[in-house]
Amino acid sequence: MRGVEKRLTEFKAAGVRPVAISVDPPEVSRHFCKKAGYTFTVLSDPKAEVIRRYDLLHVGAGPEGHDVARPAEFLVDSSRVVRWVNFTEDVRVRARADEMLAQAKKLR
Amino acid sequence: MPDATESRRNLDAWWGLLLALAAMLCNVVFFVNPPVQRAIPWLSVLLAVSALIFLARGIKRAFGRPRVYHGKILSSIVAALSLLLVSLVFITFFHARAMPTSAAAPRVGQLALDFTLTNTSGQPVSFDQLFAPAADDPKHTAPKKVLLIFYRGYW
Repeated sequence: MRGVEKRLTEFKAAGVRPVAISVDPPEVSRHFCKKAGYTFTVLSDPKAEVIRRYDLLHVGAGPEGHDVARPAEFLVDSSRVVRWVNFTEDVRVRARADEMLAQAKKLR
Repeated sequence: MPDATESRRNLDAWWGLLLALAAMLCNVVFFVNPPVQRAIPWLSVLLAVSALIFLARGIKRAFGRPRVYHGKILSSIVAALSLLLVSLVFITFFHARAMPTSAAAPRVGQLALDFTLTNTSGQPVSFDQLFAPAADDPKHTAPKKVLLIFYRGYW
């Protein structure tokens, strides 16, 4: 996420709008974005409805056994067609901003 | 004629500890998000397995030929500590990779499901609205694509 913020201008230039989604409620995300200096769109799915519909629910993986989203990234065009997707196999390994940017440029 | 009971240093257990520590340190590396991060989980396992080999050899020497290799107690302590580290490395490895299969998640070429979610200001935002030109953009250029980043949260 820090990498995405750092390269936000490059994402915009490539015609890509990064949008982060988690179960955190809006006020928690707002506080975090302010603290971390994130300016891209962050959306809240506190009941994990969209996360569940995307089949990304990681049951009991959050603190105190809360359900969270598994990390996953989708590059979607305006017709809602998925153009690129990444599902991490290891929670410690995340898609890097430069990888995602390279994909976005390749698809342009 | 060389003395058959000449004592030799038994450093294998220490090498085991060093490798176990290196395997643990691999987990810290993720915080800097290096380009080679995909290989790091496997590197940690490789280091942990090497640590086990050295530990086994060190213990075998200390107990099998105690007159030559001294330090039964010390190598046992070092081995126990290393085993603890190695166990942690393995537990972390399997825990970090215990991911849902996400078999029904949209794949390349498929339609991403429509949604409306709340932004940090508490306003509802629909999928289509994400393609609206940014308010701070003087040229009013609409984004061509949206990068949905699902993350665990609980910051």
